[in-house]
Amino acid sequence: MINPYAYTEAEILKIVDETQNIKTFTVKPRSEIGFRAGQFMDLTMPGIGEAPFTPSSNHNTGERLDFTIMRAGRVTKLLHDAKPGDVVGVRGPYGLGYPLGDFKSREVFIVGGGVGLAPLRALLYALFNEVNDYKKIILKYGARTSKDIVYKNEVDSWRQKAAHVDIEVGVDVGDETWKGNVGLVTTLLKPGLVDVNNAVAIVCGPPIMMKFVTFKLLDIGFKPNTIYLSMEKNMSCGVGKCGHCRVGPYYACKDGPVFTYDKIKDLQNIWD
Amino acid sequence: MEKKIYKITKKDLYDLFVRLSSQYRVFVPYAKGDRLHFARFDPEKEESIELGGIRQSQPIKSFINPSREKISDASRKDTRPLILAGVKGCDLASLTLQDFVFLKGDVEDPLYAGNRNNTVIIGNDCTHAKETCFCVAMEGAPYPQKHFDINLSPINDYFVVEVASAKGERLIESFKMFFKGYTATDLNMRQANREKVTREVRYFIDKRGTQNTAQIKGAVKRNYNLTALWQDFASTCVECGACNLVCPTCHCFLLFDDKMPDGNKRFRVWDACLYNTFARVAGGANPRKHLYERLRNRFEKKFDFFPQVLDYFACTGCGRCIEACPGDIDLREVLKGLVLGKWNKPPND
Repeated sequence: MINPYAYTEAEILKIVDETQNIKTFTVKPRSEIGFRAGQFMDLTMPGIGEAPFTPSSNHNTGERLDFTIMRAGRVTKLLHDAKPGDVVGVRGPYGLGYPLGDFKSREVFIVGGGVGLAPLRALLYALFNEVNDYKKIILKYGARTSKDIVYKNEVDSWRQKAAHVDIEVGVDVGDETWKGNVGLVTTLLKPGLVDVNNAVAIVCGPPIMMKFVTFKLLDIGFKPNTIYLSMEKNMSCGVGKCGHCRVGPYYACKDGPVFTYDKIKDLQNIWD
Repeated sequence: MEKKIYKITKKDLYDLFVRLSSQYRVFVPYAKGDRLHFARFDPEKEESIELGGIRQSQPIKSFINPSREKISDASRKDTRPLILAGVKGCDLASLTLQDFVFLKGDVEDPLYAGNRNNTVIIGNDCTHAKETCFCVAMEGAPYPQKHFDINLSPINDYFVVEVASAKGERLIESFKMFFKGYTATDLNMRQANREKVTREVRYFIDKRGTQNTAQIKGAVKRNYNLTALWQDFASTCVECGACNLVCPTCHCFLLFDDKMPDGNKRFRVWDACLYNTFARVAGGANPRKHLYERLRNRFEKKFDFFPQVLDYFACTGCGRCIEACPGDIDLREVLKGLVLGKWNKPPND
């Protein structure tokens, strides 16, 4: 019988320093693990512990998976000390992922903050795979400073994917090298950028950013059921049994981690 | 299936346990002071076996979903099937929830399923009630109603035996010589005992004004923001998690990795939602920073979440959490406070 709590070993092939405290790890599991953009997996430091992450790579790259990880706790600290060739554990994927079929022919308006761009990168790649199926693909991304921007070297290549792809990056605090927008990511969300009647919004970032972005999107005219939010909860087992990630009547691990706002707006403490 | 009924003398039952001990791990309840606890059947200690009385200290999950179970390999010292004898109605009622969590959903928990299939559950009628008993308010009864393979109803020095599953049937078939025919009087005496103990439980419920499920329905949601109530009840909470650990319906666990001499191991370990770390994420965010929010969460999960997803109030009225709490937090009083809107202020307030 398949043990849902057991992991597959995976070798770290490559580590890219994104920022001072964020790295992207490319790993190769011993047996191939597929996923859909927005689904998450648990990464294990063998003998130490595991934590949930959403792969940031293209879902069609087969045997390799990217994880973009901020140093935050016990497991991520050790991951940051790992070297190519080290072996970690991977299990998953869990959750529902983004319903790409529902996004077809629509304007896809993506808002990211900080390391929250990780799952959105997997989403962008998935959208780029069938780029002409979507009316527009817009990314508004905010980082704290220019030093905190992840995937710096890739953003330009994303802009080249198609004429209807629009990418804008801003920082909360500017410096002499930064030529783009300065201000919280909400300042990038202006009315008129999208046709809210034929658009979906996808948001991922720190809880406080998600809260204010959601309110701004509602102001712009997005309906609650067109705003997709990644809920950061303490997902552990991944299969709706361990109880940690409960949000009202849902478990983020199996009913999310992406929820449309209409499903959670009346629940308590969703932004904490 | 049609329920088959027999009777067996106490002496024959203990002889049967001796016979079964070679093929099974047999656990029975022993009396220790005014409490009962499950332990391995020992023919030398027959006189302290108590098949009757009330529920034991350990909830049934201790056997089906043990507090710490190795998941990285399935090797176990003793893989013989388990016979758990003397399980009371309140514990059996909890299996509705434990089965839902661990056997249903997208994937089955193979450890739980293995333990569940490998266990013969012998239920047992209560012969009295205790002040903390309130099964009847939680749609239960002081005698097994479901989830048992065989049931034993004590009458004088023998038991009325009811068979409720194929597993139970097979066990009895193999030892048919121990089981005798029953009479209508036996069933009448069983019924009389059940009614007597039900009355005792009702007496304690009425004396305290313990609320029943119909009254509790919707009360947590309605009073979610009645912060004063949650804070008052949490004021003596020391965050020990005892209420979670002794609760037969609490199912939450964490996965714990350890480096062992023979390699890395992963364990499934009981967790407790009263602990500060339960819902906290590595980034530091914690949806339940305050103790009163965690206490509230326990009630929300039991009396709002499970009624929504399973049409089940996740409390069986066993009363263990009331006895276990070092802060004297009484679940019945919290529920009363929620339904009636008034409660006693904490002594030092």
